[in-house]
Amino acid sequence: MKAILTSFRMLLKQLSKDGMLIVLMFVPILAGFFFRFGIPYLEGIITQAMAQTSVLSDYYLLFDLFLATITPYMFCFAVTMTMLDEYDKHIIGHLTITPLTKNGYIISRLGISTIISFLVSLLVVTFFSLTEWTLGKLICVCFLTSVLCIGVAMFIFTKSRNKVEGIAVAKLSGIVMLGLIVPFFLSGNVQFLFGLFPTFWIARLTIETDILSYVMVITVSVAWIMGVKIGFDRKMAQ
Amino acid sequence: MIKVKDLAFSYTPKPFIENVTFEVNNGEIFGFLGPSGAGKSTLQKILTGVLRHYTGSVSVNGVNVKSANAAFYEMIGVDFEYPSLYEKLSGNENLIYFASLYKNHRDIDALIKSVGLQFDANKRVYEYSKGMKSRLNFIKALLHNPEILFLDEPTNGLDPSNALMMKDIIRLEKSKGKTIILTTHNMQDATELCDRVAFIVDGKIRTIGTPRNLIMSRGAAQITYSYIDESLEKFASVSIDSTAIDPSLLAAISCNKLSSIHSSEPSLNDIFIEITGRSLQ
Repeated sequence: MKAILTSFRMLLKQLSKDGMLIVLMFVPILAGFFFRFGIPYLEGIITQAMAQTSVLSDYYLLFDLFLATITPYMFCFAVTMTMLDEYDKHIIGHLTITPLTKNGYIISRLGISTIISFLVSLLVVTFFSLTEWTLGKLICVCFLTSVLCIGVAMFIFTKSRNKVEGIAVAKLSGIVMLGLIVPFFLSGNVQFLFGLFPTFWIARLTIETDILSYVMVITVSVAWIMGVKIGFDRKMAQ
Repeated sequence: MIKVKDLAFSYTPKPFIENVTFEVNNGEIFGFLGPSGAGKSTLQKILTGVLRHYTGSVSVNGVNVKSANAAFYEMIGVDFEYPSLYEKLSGNENLIYFASLYKNHRDIDALIKSVGLQFDANKRVYEYSKGMKSRLNFIKALLHNPEILFLDEPTNGLDPSNALMMKDIIRLEKSKGKTIILTTHNMQDATELCDRVAFIVDGKIRTIGTPRNLIMSRGAAQITYSYIDESLEKFASVSIDSTAIDPSLLAAISCNKLSSIHSSEPSLNDIFIEITGRSLQ
Protein backbone atom coordinates (compact mmCIF):
# COMPACT_ATOMS: atom_id res chain seq x y z
CA MET A 1 0.00 0.00 0.00
CA LYS A 2 2.93 2.30 0.80
CA ALA A 3 4.30 1.83 -2.73
CA ILE A 4 0.87 2.55 -4.27
CA LEU A 5 0.49 5.79 -2.32
CA THR A 6 4.08 6.79 -3.15
CA SER A 7 3.35 6.14 -6.81
CA PHE A 8 0.13 8.16 -6.60
CA ARG A 9 2.03 11.08 -5.08
CA MET A 10 4.38 10.90 -8.06
CA LEU A 11 1.34 11.09 -10.35
CA LEU A 12 0.26 14.30 -8.59
CA LYS A 13 3.79 15.65 -8.89
CA GLN A 14 3.82 14.89 -12.59
CA LEU A 15 0.44 16.55 -13.09
CA SER A 16 1.57 19.61 -11.16
CA LYS A 17 4.49 20.06 -13.55
CA ASP A 18 2.26 20.16 -16.64
CA GLY A 19 0.30 23.37 -17.10
CA MET A 20 -2.09 21.90 -19.67
CA LEU A 21 -3.05 19.04 -17.37
CA ILE A 22 -3.59 21.39 -14.42
CA VAL A 23 -6.04 23.40 -16.50
CA LEU A 24 -7.82 20.20 -17.54
CA MET A 25 -8.51 19.33 -13.92
CA PHE A 26 -10.47 22.57 -13.56
CA VAL A 27 -12.51 22.11 -16.74
CA PRO A 28 -15.39 20.31 -14.92
CA ILE A 29 -15.71 23.22 -12.49
CA LEU A 30 -15.59 25.80 -15.28
CA ALA A 31 -18.13 23.75 -17.23
CA GLY A 32 -20.23 23.50 -14.07
CA PHE A 33 -20.32 27.27 -13.68
CA PHE A 34 -21.26 27.68 -17.34
CA PHE A 35 -23.98 25.03 -17.24
CA ARG A 36 -25.43 26.20 -13.93
CA PHE A 37 -25.49 29.92 -14.64
CA GLY A 38 -24.85 30.33 -18.38
CA ILE A 39 -27.43 27.86 -19.73
CA PRO A 40 -30.46 29.26 -17.79
CA TYR A 41 -29.36 32.75 -18.83
CA LEU A 42 -29.21 31.65 -22.48
CA GLU A 43 -32.54 29.91 -22.07
CA GLY A 44 -34.07 33.23 -21.01
CA ILE A 45 -32.68 34.99 -24.06
CA ILE A 46 -33.64 32.23 -26.51
CA THR A 47 -37.18 31.70 -25.23
CA GLN A 48 -37.75 35.44 -25.35
CA ALA A 49 -36.36 35.71 -28.88
CA MET A 50 -38.31 32.68 -30.12
CA ALA A 51 -41.44 33.41 -28.13
CA GLN A 52 -41.36 29.88 -26.67
CA THR A 53 -41.92 28.74 -23.09
CA SER A 54 -38.95 26.36 -23.16
CA VAL A 55 -36.12 25.46 -25.50
CA LEU A 56 -33.02 24.39 -23.57
CA SER A 57 -34.77 23.53 -20.32
CA ASP A 58 -36.13 20.34 -21.93
CA TYR A 59 -32.52 19.18 -22.08
CA TYR A 60 -31.31 20.27 -18.65
CA LEU A 61 -30.93 16.62 -17.67
CA LEU A 62 -28.69 16.13 -20.69
CA PHE A 63 -26.48 19.01 -19.53
CA ASP A 64 -26.29 17.40 -16.10
CA LEU A 65 -25.27 14.10 -17.68
CA PHE A 66 -22.54 15.84 -19.63
CA LEU A 67 -21.33 17.32 -16.38
CA ALA A 68 -21.31 13.90 -14.70
CA THR A 69 -19.34 12.45 -17.62
CA ILE A 70 -16.93 15.26 -18.31
CA THR A 71 -15.47 15.16 -14.78
CA PRO A 72 -14.10 11.58 -14.88
CA TYR A 73 -13.32 12.03 -18.57
CA MET A 74 -11.00 14.97 -17.89
CA PHE A 75 -9.40 13.15 -14.96
CA CYS A 76 -8.82 10.02 -17.02
CA PHE A 77 -7.42 12.10 -19.88
CA ALA A 78 -4.91 13.84 -17.59
CA VAL A 79 -3.86 10.53 -16.00
CA THR A 80 -3.55 8.83 -19.38
CA MET A 81 -1.28 11.60 -20.67
CA THR A 82 0.96 11.04 -17.64
CA MET A 83 0.93 7.29 -18.24
CA LEU A 84 1.87 7.77 -21.89
CA ASP A 85 4.74 10.00 -20.84
CA GLU A 86 5.90 7.32 -18.39
CA TYR A 87 5.54 4.68 -21.09
CA ASP A 88 7.52 6.76 -23.56
CA LYS A 89 10.35 7.13 -20.99
CA HIS A 90 10.31 3.34 -20.24
CA ILE A 91 9.31 4.14 -16.65
CA ILE A 92 6.26 1.85 -16.55
CA GLY A 93 8.42 -1.12 -17.48
CA HIS A 94 10.67 -0.37 -14.53
CA LEU A 95 7.89 0.34 -12.03
CA THR A 96 6.24 -3.01 -12.75
CA ILE A 97 9.38 -4.83 -11.56
CA THR A 98 9.51 -2.94 -8.26
CA PRO A 99 7.42 -3.79 -5.19
CA LEU A 100 4.78 -1.51 -6.71
CA THR A 101 4.09 -4.29 -9.29
CA LYS A 102 1.94 -3.92 -12.39
CA ASN A 103 -1.33 -4.10 -10.48
CA GLY A 104 -0.10 -1.54 -7.97
CA TYR A 105 0.84 0.79 -10.79
CA ILE A 106 -2.59 0.45 -12.39
CA ILE A 107 -4.29 1.08 -9.03
CA SER A 108 -2.10 4.13 -8.38
CA ARG A 109 -2.90 5.59 -11.78
CA LEU A 110 -6.42 4.46 -12.73
CA GLY A 111 -7.85 3.11 -9.47
CA ILE A 112 -7.25 6.01 -7.11
CA SER A 113 -7.94 8.55 -9.86
CA THR A 114 -11.29 6.91 -10.54
CA ILE A 115 -12.26 7.09 -6.88
CA ILE A 116 -11.28 10.77 -6.76
CA SER A 117 -13.04 11.57 -10.03
CA PHE A 118 -16.15 9.80 -8.69
CA LEU A 119 -16.12 11.98 -5.57
CA VAL A 120 -15.46 15.14 -7.59
CA SER A 121 -18.30 14.17 -9.94
CA LEU A 122 -20.64 13.88 -6.97
CA LEU A 123 -19.67 17.37 -5.82
CA VAL A 124 -19.78 18.95 -9.28
CA VAL A 125 -23.21 17.53 -10.12
CA THR A 126 -24.51 18.38 -6.64
CA PHE A 127 -23.40 22.01 -6.89
CA PHE A 128 -24.01 22.70 -10.56
CA SER A 129 -26.88 20.46 -11.71
CA LEU A 130 -29.83 22.06 -13.44
CA THR A 131 -32.29 19.33 -12.42
CA GLU A 132 -33.19 17.57 -9.19
CA TRP A 133 -31.15 14.45 -8.48
CA THR A 134 -31.91 11.86 -5.85
CA LEU A 135 -28.89 10.67 -3.89
CA GLY A 136 -29.28 7.15 -5.32
CA LYS A 137 -29.38 8.37 -8.92
CA LEU A 138 -26.46 10.72 -8.29
CA ILE A 139 -24.24 7.97 -6.86
CA CYS A 140 -25.29 5.48 -9.52
CA VAL A 141 -24.62 7.77 -12.50
CA CYS A 142 -21.32 9.15 -11.14
CA PHE A 143 -20.15 5.62 -10.38
CA LEU A 144 -21.03 4.41 -13.88
CA THR A 145 -19.40 7.34 -15.68
CA SER A 146 -16.27 6.87 -13.57
CA VAL A 147 -16.09 3.17 -14.44
CA LEU A 148 -16.67 4.00 -18.09
CA CYS A 149 -13.75 6.39 -18.02
CA ILE A 150 -11.42 3.61 -16.83
CA GLY A 151 -12.20 1.92 -20.14
CA VAL A 152 -11.66 5.17 -22.03
CA ALA A 153 -8.29 5.70 -20.30
CA MET A 154 -7.21 2.14 -21.13
CA PHE A 155 -8.31 2.65 -24.73
CA ILE A 156 -6.36 5.90 -25.15
CA PHE A 157 -3.27 4.36 -23.52
CA THR A 158 -3.43 1.21 -25.64
CA LYS A 159 -3.96 2.95 -28.96
CA SER A 160 -1.35 5.70 -28.55
CA ARG A 161 2.42 5.54 -28.66
CA ASN A 162 3.02 8.94 -27.08
CA LYS A 163 1.27 12.03 -25.72
CA VAL A 164 0.74 13.59 -29.15
CA GLU A 165 -1.03 10.49 -30.42
CA GLY A 166 -2.81 10.30 -27.07
CA ILE A 167 -4.39 13.72 -27.58
CA ALA A 168 -5.65 12.65 -31.03
CA VAL A 169 -7.03 9.34 -29.75
CA ALA A 170 -8.64 11.12 -26.78
CA LYS A 171 -10.50 13.40 -29.20
CA LEU A 172 -11.69 10.30 -31.05
CA SER A 173 -12.74 8.64 -27.81
CA GLY A 174 -14.96 11.66 -27.12
CA ILE A 175 -17.41 9.98 -29.47
CA VAL A 176 -18.36 7.80 -26.51
CA MET A 177 -20.36 10.77 -25.20
CA LEU A 178 -22.58 10.59 -28.26
CA GLY A 179 -24.62 7.93 -26.49
CA LEU A 180 -25.80 10.49 -23.94
CA ILE A 181 -27.63 12.48 -26.60
CA VAL A 182 -29.46 9.62 -28.32
CA PRO A 183 -32.33 8.93 -25.85
CA PHE A 184 -33.14 12.65 -25.83
CA PHE A 185 -33.48 12.96 -29.60
CA LEU A 186 -34.33 9.50 -30.96
CA SER A 187 -37.40 7.53 -30.04
CA GLY A 188 -38.44 4.01 -30.96
CA ASN A 189 -36.20 1.03 -31.56
CA VAL A 190 -33.77 2.91 -33.77
CA GLN A 191 -32.16 4.39 -30.66
CA PHE A 192 -30.93 0.91 -29.68
CA LEU A 193 -28.48 1.06 -32.58
CA PHE A 194 -26.43 3.09 -30.12
CA GLY A 195 -26.62 0.36 -27.49
CA LEU A 196 -22.91 -0.33 -27.79
CA PHE A 197 -22.24 3.04 -26.15
CA PRO A 198 -22.38 2.66 -22.37
CA THR A 199 -23.39 6.32 -22.20
CA PHE A 200 -26.58 5.50 -24.10
CA TRP A 201 -27.67 3.21 -21.25
CA ILE A 202 -26.57 5.74 -18.63
CA ALA A 203 -28.81 8.35 -20.26
CA ARG A 204 -31.74 5.89 -20.50
CA LEU A 205 -31.20 4.97 -16.87
CA THR A 206 -31.64 8.58 -15.77
CA ILE A 207 -34.72 9.03 -17.94
CA GLU A 208 -36.57 5.78 -17.23
CA THR A 209 -34.76 4.13 -14.27
CA ASP A 210 -35.34 0.59 -15.54
CA ILE A 211 -33.39 -2.48 -14.53
CA LEU A 212 -32.58 -3.33 -18.17
CA SER A 213 -30.62 -0.10 -18.59
CA TYR A 214 -28.73 -0.77 -15.38
CA VAL A 215 -27.80 -4.31 -16.43
CA MET A 216 -26.90 -3.16 -19.93
CA VAL A 217 -24.65 -0.30 -18.81
CA ILE A 218 -22.70 -2.67 -16.58
CA THR A 219 -22.52 -5.33 -19.31
CA VAL A 220 -21.46 -2.94 -22.07
CA SER A 221 -18.90 -1.15 -19.87
CA VAL A 222 -17.33 -4.43 -18.73
CA ALA A 223 -17.29 -5.67 -22.34
CA TRP A 224 -15.48 -2.48 -23.41
CA ILE A 225 -12.93 -2.79 -20.61
CA MET A 226 -12.32 -6.50 -21.30
CA GLY A 227 -11.99 -5.76 -25.01
CA VAL A 228 -9.33 -3.14 -24.38
CA LYS A 229 -7.63 -5.10 -21.59
CA ILE A 230 -5.79 -7.54 -23.90
CA GLY A 231 -4.01 -4.75 -25.75
CA PHE A 232 -3.52 -2.84 -22.51
CA ASP A 233 -1.80 -5.80 -20.82
CA ARG A 234 0.38 -6.38 -23.87
CA LYS A 235 1.48 -2.76 -23.88
CA MET A 236 2.21 -2.81 -20.14
CA ALA A 237 4.60 -5.75 -20.70
CA GLN A 238 6.57 -3.98 -23.43
CA MET B 1 19.49 -19.57 -7.40
CA ILE B 2 17.95 -19.48 -10.90
CA LYS B 3 16.50 -22.60 -12.52
CA VAL B 4 15.03 -22.62 -16.00
CA LYS B 5 13.72 -25.81 -17.56
CA ASP B 6 12.20 -26.40 -21.01
CA LEU B 7 11.27 -22.74 -21.36
CA ALA B 8 9.35 -21.73 -24.47
CA PHE B 9 7.83 -18.36 -25.30
CA SER B 10 6.81 -16.32 -28.30
CA TYR B 11 5.16 -12.97 -28.93
CA THR B 12 3.55 -14.39 -32.07
CA PRO B 13 2.31 -17.82 -33.20
CA LYS B 14 5.78 -18.39 -34.68
CA PRO B 15 8.05 -20.11 -32.11
CA PHE B 16 10.73 -17.84 -30.67
CA ILE B 17 12.32 -18.94 -27.41
CA GLU B 18 12.42 -22.74 -27.38
CA ASN B 19 13.78 -25.53 -25.19
CA VAL B 20 15.80 -23.20 -22.98
CA THR B 21 17.24 -24.95 -19.94
CA PHE B 22 19.95 -23.63 -17.65
CA GLU B 23 20.83 -22.96 -14.03
CA VAL B 24 22.65 -20.03 -12.46
CA ASN B 25 24.46 -20.59 -9.18
CA ASN B 26 24.46 -18.35 -6.15
CA GLY B 27 27.08 -15.60 -6.36
CA GLU B 28 27.76 -16.17 -10.05
CA ILE B 29 27.93 -13.66 -12.90
CA PHE B 30 26.11 -15.34 -15.75
CA GLY B 31 26.12 -13.72 -19.17
CA PHE B 32 23.61 -13.96 -21.98
CA LEU B 33 25.58 -13.31 -25.11
CA GLY B 34 23.96 -12.86 -28.47
CA PRO B 35 23.26 -10.48 -31.33
CA SER B 36 20.35 -8.02 -31.33
CA GLY B 37 16.99 -9.77 -31.54
CA ALA B 38 18.38 -13.08 -30.29
CA GLY B 39 15.99 -13.17 -27.32
CA LYS B 40 18.29 -11.96 -24.54
CA SER B 41 16.04 -9.16 -23.34
CA THR B 42 12.96 -11.36 -23.70
CA LEU B 43 14.63 -13.96 -21.52
CA GLN B 44 15.41 -11.26 -18.97
CA LYS B 45 11.77 -10.14 -19.03
CA ILE B 46 10.69 -13.71 -18.33
CA LEU B 47 13.17 -14.08 -15.47
CA THR B 48 11.95 -10.83 -13.91
CA GLY B 49 8.28 -11.79 -14.16
CA VAL B 50 7.35 -9.20 -16.78
CA LEU B 51 6.33 -11.84 -19.34
CA ARG B 52 4.37 -14.67 -17.78
CA HIS B 53 2.71 -16.43 -20.72
CA TYR B 54 5.47 -18.98 -21.18
CA THR B 55 5.63 -22.74 -20.90
CA GLY B 56 8.20 -24.66 -18.89
CA SER B 57 9.39 -23.78 -15.43
CA VAL B 58 11.31 -20.72 -14.26
CA SER B 59 12.24 -20.16 -10.64
CA VAL B 60 14.36 -17.40 -9.18
CA ASN B 61 15.59 -17.91 -5.63
CA GLY B 62 12.93 -20.59 -5.20
CA VAL B 63 10.09 -18.36 -6.43
CA ASN B 64 8.08 -19.34 -9.49
CA VAL B 65 8.28 -16.09 -11.47
CA LYS B 66 4.70 -16.53 -12.70
CA SER B 67 3.67 -15.65 -9.16
CA ALA B 68 6.21 -12.86 -8.71
CA ASN B 69 4.91 -10.35 -6.15
CA ALA B 70 6.15 -7.36 -4.19
CA ALA B 71 8.38 -9.58 -2.00
CA PHE B 72 9.99 -11.02 -5.14
CA TYR B 73 10.73 -7.55 -6.45
CA GLU B 74 12.37 -6.61 -3.14
CA MET B 75 15.10 -9.17 -3.88
CA ILE B 76 15.85 -8.36 -7.53
CA GLY B 77 17.28 -5.25 -9.12
CA VAL B 78 16.96 -4.59 -12.84
CA ASP B 79 18.90 -2.23 -15.05
CA PHE B 80 17.15 -2.16 -18.41
CA GLU B 81 19.00 -1.22 -21.56
CA TYR B 82 17.14 2.08 -21.85
CA PRO B 83 17.13 4.58 -18.97
CA SER B 84 13.78 4.76 -17.19
CA LEU B 85 13.89 8.10 -15.42
CA TYR B 86 11.63 11.09 -14.80
CA GLU B 87 13.33 13.72 -16.91
CA LYS B 88 11.68 16.69 -15.19
CA LEU B 89 13.09 15.57 -11.83
CA SER B 90 16.70 15.75 -10.71
CA GLY B 91 18.87 12.64 -10.49
CA ASN B 92 18.63 12.79 -6.72
CA GLU B 93 14.82 13.14 -6.77
CA ASN B 94 14.56 10.16 -9.09
CA LEU B 95 16.58 7.97 -6.76
CA ILE B 96 14.66 9.16 -3.68
CA TYR B 97 11.39 8.29 -5.42
CA PHE B 98 12.42 4.84 -6.63
CA ALA B 99 14.06 4.07 -3.26
CA SER B 100 10.81 4.93 -1.49
CA LEU B 101 9.08 2.05 -3.28
CA TYR B 102 11.21 -0.43 -1.31
CA LYS B 103 11.21 -1.37 2.36
CA ASN B 104 14.89 -0.50 2.78
CA HIS B 105 17.44 1.26 0.64
CA ARG B 106 21.11 2.11 0.53
CA ASP B 107 22.71 5.48 1.17
CA ILE B 108 21.70 7.42 -1.97
CA ASP B 109 24.54 9.95 -1.74
CA ALA B 110 27.14 7.17 -1.59
CA LEU B 111 25.62 5.49 -4.64
CA ILE B 112 25.61 8.76 -6.58
CA LYS B 113 29.23 9.32 -5.64
CA SER B 114 30.18 5.78 -6.71
CA VAL B 115 29.34 6.63 -10.33
CA GLY B 116 30.77 10.14 -10.23
CA LEU B 117 27.47 12.03 -10.37
CA GLN B 118 27.81 13.85 -7.04
CA PHE B 119 28.17 17.26 -8.71
CA ASP B 120 25.22 16.68 -11.04
CA ALA B 121 22.80 15.05 -8.60
CA ASN B 122 20.59 18.13 -8.40
CA LYS B 123 20.43 18.72 -12.14
CA ARG B 124 17.28 17.73 -13.93
CA VAL B 125 17.71 14.48 -15.81
CA TYR B 126 16.90 16.03 -19.19
CA GLU B 127 20.15 17.99 -18.81
CA TYR B 128 22.12 14.74 -18.42
CA SER B 129 24.20 13.21 -21.21
CA LYS B 130 23.43 9.68 -22.39
CA GLY B 131 26.28 8.29 -20.30
CA MET B 132 25.13 10.12 -17.17
CA LYS B 133 21.61 8.73 -17.61
CA SER B 134 23.05 5.22 -18.00
CA ARG B 135 25.04 5.58 -14.80
CA LEU B 136 22.04 6.94 -12.88
CA ASN B 137 19.87 4.15 -14.24
CA PHE B 138 22.47 1.60 -13.17
CA ILE B 139 22.59 2.71 -9.54
CA LYS B 140 18.77 2.78 -9.54
CA ALA B 141 18.97 -1.01 -9.81
CA LEU B 142 21.26 -1.15 -6.75
CA LEU B 143 19.17 1.15 -4.55
CA HIS B 144 17.55 -1.56 -2.42
CA ASN B 145 20.64 -3.77 -2.18
CA PRO B 146 19.05 -6.66 -4.13
CA GLU B 147 20.28 -10.24 -3.93
CA ILE B 148 20.00 -10.74 -7.68
CA LEU B 149 20.90 -8.19 -10.33
CA PHE B 150 19.71 -8.24 -13.92
CA LEU B 151 21.85 -5.94 -16.02
CA ASP B 152 20.99 -5.32 -19.66
CA GLU B 153 23.90 -3.81 -21.62
CA PRO B 154 25.18 -1.89 -18.56
CA THR B 155 28.18 -0.37 -20.36
CA ASN B 156 26.33 0.51 -23.55
CA GLY B 157 27.04 4.10 -24.62
CA LEU B 158 29.65 4.71 -21.93
CA ASP B 159 33.16 6.02 -22.53
CA PRO B 160 35.98 3.60 -21.57
CA SER B 161 36.66 5.17 -18.16
CA ASN B 162 33.01 5.11 -17.14
CA ALA B 163 32.60 1.59 -18.54
CA LEU B 164 35.54 0.55 -16.36
CA MET B 165 33.92 2.23 -13.36
CA MET B 166 30.70 0.29 -13.95
CA LYS B 167 32.56 -2.99 -14.34
CA ASP B 168 34.37 -2.36 -11.06
CA ILE B 169 31.01 -1.81 -9.35
CA ILE B 170 29.68 -5.05 -10.87
CA ARG B 171 32.72 -6.92 -9.53
CA LEU B 172 32.20 -5.28 -6.14
CA GLU B 173 28.58 -6.47 -6.07
CA LYS B 174 29.73 -9.98 -6.97
CA SER B 175 32.25 -9.88 -4.13
CA LYS B 176 29.32 -9.22 -1.79
CA GLY B 177 27.77 -12.50 -2.90
CA LYS B 178 25.25 -11.09 -5.36
CA THR B 179 24.08 -13.21 -8.28
CA ILE B 180 24.27 -11.22 -11.48
CA ILE B 181 22.66 -11.86 -14.85
CA LEU B 182 24.44 -9.84 -17.51
CA THR B 183 22.80 -9.43 -20.88
CA THR B 184 25.15 -8.11 -23.52
CA HIS B 185 26.43 -8.30 -27.04
CA ASN B 186 29.77 -6.91 -25.87
CA MET B 187 32.10 -9.92 -25.81
CA GLN B 188 34.81 -7.96 -24.03
CA ASP B 189 32.51 -7.24 -21.09
CA ALA B 190 31.38 -10.86 -21.03
CA THR B 191 34.95 -12.18 -21.08
CA GLU B 192 36.06 -9.81 -18.31
CA LEU B 193 33.06 -10.16 -16.01
CA CYS B 194 31.26 -13.45 -16.48
CA ASP B 195 31.91 -16.70 -14.67
CA ARG B 196 29.83 -18.45 -17.34
CA VAL B 197 28.14 -17.34 -20.51
CA ALA B 198 25.31 -18.68 -22.62
CA PHE B 199 25.35 -18.07 -26.37
CA ILE B 200 21.85 -17.23 -27.58
CA VAL B 201 20.80 -17.07 -31.21
CA ASP B 202 17.24 -17.03 -32.55
CA GLY B 203 15.79 -17.74 -29.12
CA LYS B 204 17.87 -20.85 -28.50
CA ILE B 205 20.86 -21.43 -26.25
CA ARG B 206 23.63 -22.88 -28.41
CA THR B 207 26.17 -23.47 -25.67
CA ILE B 208 27.00 -22.64 -22.05
CA GLY B 209 30.43 -22.50 -20.49
CA THR B 210 33.08 -20.39 -18.85
CA PRO B 211 34.63 -17.84 -21.23
CA ARG B 212 38.05 -19.44 -20.74
CA ASN B 213 36.88 -22.98 -21.45
CA LEU B 214 34.98 -21.83 -24.51
CA ILE B 215 38.04 -20.01 -25.81
CA MET B 216 40.30 -22.95 -25.06
CA SER B 217 37.91 -25.37 -26.67
CA ARG B 218 38.90 -23.93 -30.02
CA GLY B 219 42.41 -25.20 -29.55
CA ALA B 220 45.65 -23.95 -28.07
CA ALA B 221 46.74 -20.37 -28.52
CA GLN B 222 49.46 -19.63 -31.03
CA ILE B 223 52.79 -17.95 -30.37
CA THR B 224 54.15 -15.81 -33.16
CA TYR B 225 57.77 -14.77 -32.90
CA SER B 226 60.54 -13.21 -34.96
CA TYR B 227 64.28 -13.74 -34.66
CA ILE B 228 67.48 -12.58 -36.36
CA ASP B 229 69.15 -15.15 -38.57
CA GLU B 230 72.19 -14.15 -40.70
CA SER B 231 71.26 -10.46 -40.34
CA LEU B 232 67.70 -11.14 -41.60
CA GLU B 233 64.55 -10.98 -39.48
CA LYS B 234 62.57 -14.18 -39.81
CA PHE B 235 59.05 -14.90 -38.59
CA ALA B 236 57.56 -18.14 -37.29
CA SER B 237 54.63 -19.34 -35.22
CA VAL B 238 54.05 -22.33 -33.02
CA SER B 239 51.22 -23.74 -30.95
CA ILE B 240 51.65 -22.81 -27.29
CA ASP B 241 51.73 -26.48 -26.28
CA SER B 242 54.64 -27.17 -28.68
CA THR B 243 57.08 -24.44 -27.68
CA ALA B 244 59.48 -26.91 -26.02
CA ILE B 245 59.93 -28.85 -29.25
CA ASP B 246 60.18 -25.97 -31.71
CA PRO B 247 63.87 -25.90 -32.78
CA SER B 248 63.79 -22.37 -34.25
CA LEU B 249 62.28 -20.91 -31.10
CA LEU B 250 64.69 -22.82 -28.83
CA ALA B 251 67.66 -21.75 -30.91
CA ALA B 252 66.54 -18.13 -31.00
CA ILE B 253 66.14 -18.10 -27.22
CA SER B 254 69.44 -19.88 -26.52
CA CYS B 255 71.38 -17.55 -28.84
CA ASN B 256 69.51 -14.48 -27.63
CA LYS B 257 68.32 -13.75 -31.18
CA LEU B 258 64.63 -13.35 -30.41
CA SER B 259 63.43 -9.91 -31.61
CA SER B 260 59.71 -10.20 -30.80
CA ILE B 261 57.19 -12.67 -29.38
CA HIS B 262 53.39 -12.48 -29.17
CA SER B 263 50.66 -14.85 -28.13
CA SER B 264 47.36 -14.82 -29.96
CA GLU B 265 44.26 -16.35 -28.40
CA PRO B 266 40.87 -16.60 -30.07
CA SER B 267 38.34 -14.15 -28.63
CA LEU B 268 34.88 -15.03 -27.35
CA ASN B 269 33.58 -13.37 -30.49
CA ASP B 270 35.56 -15.86 -32.63
CA ILE B 271 34.09 -18.73 -30.64
CA PHE B 272 30.61 -17.28 -30.95
CA ILE B 273 30.92 -17.03 -34.73
CA GLU B 274 32.32 -20.55 -34.92
CA ILE B 275 29.52 -22.07 -32.85
CA THR B 276 26.56 -20.03 -34.06
CA GLY B 277 27.63 -18.89 -37.50
CA ARG B 278 26.61 -15.37 -36.49
CA SER B 279 28.49 -12.26 -35.39
CA LEU B 280 27.92 -10.67 -32.01
CA GLN B 281 28.31 -7.06 -33.11
